[in-house]
Amino acid sequence: MQIEKLNRSEAFRYMSTGEGSEGKIKGELLKITEECEQMLLKVIEPRFIYKIFDIKVCENKVNVLNTFLTLKGKDISDHLKGCSRCVLLCVTLSAGVDKLIRTYETEGMEKALVADSLASAAVEQACELAEEEIRSAVGNYGYTWRFSPGYGDFPLDIQEELLKVIDAPKRIGVNVTDSLILIPRKSVTAVIGVSENEVPKGRRGCGSCNMKDRCQYRKNYAHCG
Amino acid sequence: MDFKKFLHEKEFVILDGAMGTMLQARGLKTGETPEILNIENPALLTDIHSEYIKAGADIIYANTFGANRYKLSKSGYSVEEIIKAGIRNAKKACEGADVLTALDIGPIGQLLEPSGTLTFEEAYDIYKEQVIAGSDADLIVFETMTDLYEIKAAVLAAKENCDKPVMCTMTFEENMRTFTGCSVSSMALTLEGLGVDAIGVNCSLGPKELYPVVEELCRMTKLPVAVKPNAGLPDPVTNSYNITEAEFASFTEKLVPLGVKLFGGCCGTKPSFITAIKSALIEKTYIKADPVIPSACCTPQKTVLIDRPRIIGERINPTGKKRFKEALLAGDTDYILAQAVEQVKGGADILDVNVGTPGIDEKEMMKRVVKAIQSVADVPLQLDSTNPEVLEAALRVYNGKPIVNSVNGEEKSLKTVLPLVKKYGAAVVGLCLDENGIPKTAEGRFKIAEKILNRALELGIRREDVYIDCLTLTVSAEQEAAMVTLDALERVKNELGLRTVLGVSNISFGLPDRVKISSNFLTMALAKGLDLPIINPNTESMTAAVMAFNVLKGYDGNSMEYIARYGGEIGKSEKTLNDKNAEKGDNDLGYALENGLRSEGARITAELLKSSDPMTIINDILIPTLDKTGSEFEKGKIFLPQLILTAGAAQSCFEVIKEYYAKTGEKAVSKGKIILATVKGDIHDIGKNIVKVLLENYGYEVLDLGKDVPCETVLECAVRENIRLVGLSALMTTTLASMEETIRLLRENKVDCKIMVGGAVLTPEYAKKIGADFYAKDAKESCDIAKKVFESIGNSDC
Repeated sequence: MQIEKLNRSEAFRYMSTGEGSEGKIKGELLKITEECEQMLLKVIEPRFIYKIFDIKVCENKVNVLNTFLTLKGKDISDHLKGCSRCVLLCVTLSAGVDKLIRTYETEGMEKALVADSLASAAVEQACELAEEEIRSAVGNYGYTWRFSPGYGDFPLDIQEELLKVIDAPKRIGVNVTDSLILIPRKSVTAVIGVSENEVPKGRRGCGSCNMKDRCQYRKNYAHCG
Repeated sequence: MDFKKFLHEKEFVILDGAMGTMLQARGLKTGETPEILNIENPALLTDIHSEYIKAGADIIYANTFGANRYKLSKSGYSVEEIIKAGIRNAKKACEGADVLTALDIGPIGQLLEPSGTLTFEEAYDIYKEQVIAGSDADLIVFETMTDLYEIKAAVLAAKENCDKPVMCTMTFEENMRTFTGCSVSSMALTLEGLGVDAIGVNCSLGPKELYPVVEELCRMTKLPVAVKPNAGLPDPVTNSYNITEAEFASFTEKLVPLGVKLFGGCCGTKPSFITAIKSALIEKTYIKADPVIPSACCTPQKTVLIDRPRIIGERINPTGKKRFKEALLAGDTDYILAQAVEQVKGGADILDVNVGTPGIDEKEMMKRVVKAIQSVADVPLQLDSTNPEVLEAALRVYNGKPIVNSVNGEEKSLKTVLPLVKKYGAAVVGLCLDENGIPKTAEGRFKIAEKILNRALELGIRREDVYIDCLTLTVSAEQEAAMVTLDALERVKNELGLRTVLGVSNISFGLPDRVKISSNFLTMALAKGLDLPIINPNTESMTAAVMAFNVLKGYDGNSMEYIARYGGEIGKSEKTLNDKNAEKGDNDLGYALENGLRSEGARITAELLKSSDPMTIINDILIPTLDKTGSEFEKGKIFLPQLILTAGAAQSCFEVIKEYYAKTGEKAVSKGKIILATVKGDIHDIGKNIVKVLLENYGYEVLDLGKDVPCETVLECAVRENIRLVGLSALMTTTLASMEETIRLLRENKVDCKIMVGGAVLTPEYAKKIGADFYAKDAKESCDIAKKVFESIGNSDC
């Protein structure tokens, strides 16, 4: 997996620069963005790991068979409705990114902010690439979009068990802190439903988002995904 | 027999294969804690161990890999119970056979600082508990490690709490690094320095893919090398491993000529794999690699070989620097970090770190600064203190192999410093002075160098790790001393074969245009064989002298480094930028700020300080510009990155003003002290740091307690400093509880302060609910709140 270019417009949106602002980024800020992007591309080492499990979808939970894992919540069980299997996935940009951002914090917060946002955009890109690879490895089935712990009522405290089940600490070096922060910081875990049938083309809506009441994008009648 | 005898008497030592793979084949569910079986199904474990012994293993690993406090927290068993049972099961299998049982210890499962939240000291305690619980084992194995810092904590815990042999194996990826970026050479230099008995690699890859990793390792260590590869690579869909026993054995066999002594298997291997290796090795003879290990120091990511002149940056040292002393007294590590990063950019290969100044706890500050610098700058450090206790504290928390500055020919120094150098596996600078001071002759200094070397060798410190400083004296005071230094240096280099180090700048003290003398002295010293000049790398002509020397000596192949530094686009583009600014009006500070031009801002401020006083600059230019960008931000005309850009440029102007104040002895006016902290459990601190920059720009004194800050630390600081405003940030729903707890603690103790809170997951309602006085929606608003709070205090005080 390789990321060749970072999604700048996405990054600028994370910095709340408003819709279509990318073109307005110039001067020193543009210079910083270019520097940060170049440096990030040097230190990003995208890695991912996934495993596929048979599942049993119940009303308010999903049992991941042959493991101790239960995916709790109405939202995840809605998400996986009609799926017989699911992919548990973890993607990371690896530890070098964290260090680069820390270094930028000592050079100037503007660099740290820009690099942090670019890296957030990059982890999304890495997820997309991972998903593509998974689909081509697993085969021609219906796939849901990625549903991550913390969305809706799917609790964050599943992170540790989820990582353990796919052996993420050993295989790609991702761990979780007691307060459920993934480390390296630019890492994502997600559940993708796999179905024998076509899955309705859904997308992540605001309904399942914990931030929906305080989201800056929604205030401006936009969305983040 | 014991481990050392095994190494000595056996041609090869055979280790066992995977435990997890065997347990899963017997029904262990994915994600289950395997160590619980030590107690709940001991017969199963003994069976597996017996199978490996039957297959030919000389050493078996007890089922204790994840038996630490953290991973067992939900198991219902204690670390001691699980480990004792694990070793008992293994020992039972060993009965009647000449086989050793290893206490097997893997990573804790929590990442250490600076990436994670676990401190080095906590990691040490966790490992100590395991080491003590494993007292019945014959040796200790730390394996599957990816973080050099974590394995250092583990090795110290083992060495300081038992006398068992220790073997360490780390896990490398195909890019020759571990997940945390640790290189093979850094692992070898650091762990061999710490005195382990064998090192090696395990897991991640198969024996074929591990070849280059093992090759590099055998080049960098004199210790016995162990290899425990996986059964090839896992299939991403089925997760099964892809090579057979025969392939495994044949690839493993190819590692023999590299110098490997101990062989075993990791994930995906079974007893049949061990049988296969055992029979493949029967006809083979052990080939000891015995490489020459170069003079080197390292961080986890970077090894600096002292095979040509390397620059040691001298700037992190308060001697003669008022601003630096102030920063130390105020505990302002940001200032020190900025100096570190600047020197690395300037060309430093190594940084000297000295924080000794009256009025601070040097030991605590040293630990803090070493950790902080290592979190941002990837260069080895030279730990510099006259106090052995400070040196030991620094050596302990340093990640990698550092240099100790310094030991000298005095008996007391030799007796206290050298054992520390040995214990922690550092390199050491030896100063050519003793009880009688600095010898006047080259012969006298040479004799001391020889004495230091001999004492180091007696303790088992390698010759390659002793660097001699023949001491630079001031040429304006003692003109003949310059050549004495250089003559002594030449002799130490040629006759003792040691690396040499020299603080260069002192030579020109008291003379005009000092750098001319210093840079010429530097060139002369380099020609005599100086390896490690200690200089200010940001003084261009000094760094240039080293760069040029490396070209002329042929060290800098095709002059690539020289060209990269002096021939590239960088110089040009800076020039055009400056030209552009010149057109806009040379000294328009407002323009520089609005466009976020840091160095321009600093330059113009310095210029303005020649004719106006600091307060005028602050009140007439800096604050109005900040106000203007602030209000444009509120109106949505500019966005967060632009606001911060201006704030950052203003910060560089304020830094110039602080330097000015430090020189003149005037005191900067503080509008009030504010605590900022990212609460316990949370490590997202970018937002908090942005708030800090803005508040400081507006003249508030910010006590930045950092991230992951315990509630009690906030309380303690608020009381001690008589704080009137506390700012707390949290970015996770899971850490809001710590925020609430911090507020509760402050209220309960009746601290007379206002509290403002911020962070993406907060709402004004929630802020109110947890008892905060203010909710700050962004950095700009925290400045408004601060203004409100301190104005009201001002009014009530009147």
